[in-house]
Amino acid sequence: MPSSEHLSRQYDSELEDIRSRVMQMGGLVESQILTAIECLGSGNVELMDQVTDNDRRVNSYEVEIDEACAHVIARRQPAASDLRLIMAVSKIVTDLERTGDEAEKIARMARQIHDRGRLQTPRSADVSQAGLLAVALLRRVLDALARLDAAEAERIIAEDVTIDDAFRGIVRQLVTYMMEDPRTISTALDIVWIAKAIERIGDHTKNVAEQVIYIVRGTDVRHTVREGHAEPDGAE
Amino acid sequence: MPPVWAALLIRLTGATLAGLTFGAIFGAVAGLAVAAGALLLMLLAHTVQLARLQRWLKAPAERDIPDAWGAWGNVFVDLYRVLRHEQKARARIEADLEVFSQAAEASPDGLVFLDADDHIAWCNRVAEQHLGLRGERDMGLLVTNLIRLPGFADFLASAQEGETLTYRPQDRKGKVYAIEAIRFGRDRKLLISADVSQVERAETMRRDFVANVSHELRTPLTVISGYVEHMVEDAAPDPAEWKQQMAMVNEQAGRMLRLVDDLLTLSRLEDEAQAPREEEFDVRDLIYEISAEGRRLSGGRHSITCEVVPAFLKGSREELHSAFSNLVSNAVRYTPAGGRIVLHWALRDGKGVFSVEDSGIGIPEEHIPRLTERFYRVDRGRSRESGGTGLGLSIVKHILLRHQASLEIGSVPGSGSTFSAVFPAWRIRPLGEGRS
Repeated sequence: MPSSEHLSRQYDSELEDIRSRVMQMGGLVESQILTAIECLGSGNVELMDQVTDNDRRVNSYEVEIDEACAHVIARRQPAASDLRLIMAVSKIVTDLERTGDEAEKIARMARQIHDRGRLQTPRSADVSQAGLLAVALLRRVLDALARLDAAEAERIIAEDVTIDDAFRGIVRQLVTYMMEDPRTISTALDIVWIAKAIERIGDHTKNVAEQVIYIVRGTDVRHTVREGHAEPDGAE
Repeated sequence: MPPVWAALLIRLTGATLAGLTFGAIFGAVAGLAVAAGALLLMLLAHTVQLARLQRWLKAPAERDIPDAWGAWGNVFVDLYRVLRHEQKARARIEADLEVFSQAAEASPDGLVFLDADDHIAWCNRVAEQHLGLRGERDMGLLVTNLIRLPGFADFLASAQEGETLTYRPQDRKGKVYAIEAIRFGRDRKLLISADVSQVERAETMRRDFVANVSHELRTPLTVISGYVEHMVEDAAPDPAEWKQQMAMVNEQAGRMLRLVDDLLTLSRLEDEAQAPREEEFDVRDLIYEISAEGRRLSGGRHSITCEVVPAFLKGSREELHSAFSNLVSNAVRYTPAGGRIVLHWALRDGKGVFSVEDSGIGIPEEHIPRLTERFYRVDRGRSRESGGTGLGLSIVKHILLRHQASLEIGSVPGSGSTFSAVFPAWRIRPLGEGRS
């Protein structure tokens, strides 16, 4: 029947449109984090404003995609893998939106640090490094989502611990700085916030990876202990 | 009349004749029975051939084409001919396609073919490298899902001619690609990615160079204009003070002159496509000349000695004089008073090695690879106060390159450095043994 074929083709294109919008949103979030990290190094005020402005775009992506998901569920009653995709997408956009918020937080903290006159920014190079690590992981998880590559998603989940380790290392070093010179405390605290934001980005990335596995295999791997290492703290 | 119909007519006539004959001899019933039997046989024969044709169609292969008599035989022969023709045409198309895809693979630029909905239809290996695609695996995926650079989706949708998008993959430092989207056919698109990292780097270097030159010239000029201004406004000039100030102006002007000279030398070395003038000369004489110059520069603050073997070198004596004396004057500048500087000329596996060894301040390892960059300075303040232009080692490197020689730098911070120019064996002519 041509009419039902037409309908199903339209349905397919709706699903593809949702997925491609998620990828666009992911790309934007990726560049938001990168820009925020650059702000931390350069103190470029224009870039900081750009991050804040773009965060609104990230938020509207979330609303739009959620609406589109609800629309597809109501109109098409998706089943099986299509339903899994819709469910996973609506969770992924939440994680991406929060990642975007963390990027904005980094930019805001960077502004505070630079407004203070940037006398000493202890460990900011380490923080940038950890940030780049988190962006790389996010990019890989988005690639895995585009390619529906569950094996890659599993690797990403395992690698999230490197960001957690980097976070702990930075905090440990900052504590010694603060003890040595109390004048650095306010800046060091801002840097702790930035490091925490990066660590959260890692956790959101991991959640996205779990959703990729769910889309592909239909298995829920949240809150499961992987062989070898326990769930790192901070991840939900 | 087509042969099939003719064959049918002959057979039908045969069956009718047989029926009539039998009918005339044995009666009507027998005649009809024979005619019916003959028709039945004909039907059976056709059905058998039809079954063979059907069986073959399920798995068509050239050598399995059935063989038969008569009309069916002709059909099978025609079928065979058509098949052969098709196969030849397909082979030709495949060969053409292969040439095309080889040509696309050979392109130095990345090529990605997109279908009407921007799904990846094909890409070459260069595109895989440039854009992080994964060949076969990514075929059929939406290209905007894999290249998520903000703005790329809009860029692709508009696909304006001559418009390029700059792509800096974050996981490959220093790589810059220019992406172009071109429409072709009916609403298909072609993405072309070109590696412009070198262009970008050259542009950055040029900018840095101009900034550096301006800065280096500005510093002495500021000093000069400061003194001149003071002298112009000085109501009651004091000759002793003037003399002192003129000395400063003179010194700064000398510095600018040295810088411009070095710049001119560098640009001449770079522009001259011609190989250096080849002459064979005794390196020992050159080294004695240079060590004398070094002693004059040092003013007795260093001990400068030479250790040379008798060997001739082929090359431009003038240029090599400039290169070697640059190395020696560096050693004098960066070695504290009382230090020791040794000029070596030795043969190593047939290669000629000129080296300057000093007991100076040394160079931290991380700076060594960048030393020959223009205006690269390990310690900005110190090298300027010692009178360097920041171009000496660039000049040395260029001259050595023109002589197919290499510059080797070894250094231990705090205890000294050794700069060696290593010349290829064919430029060397040893003169027996012996030390001087």
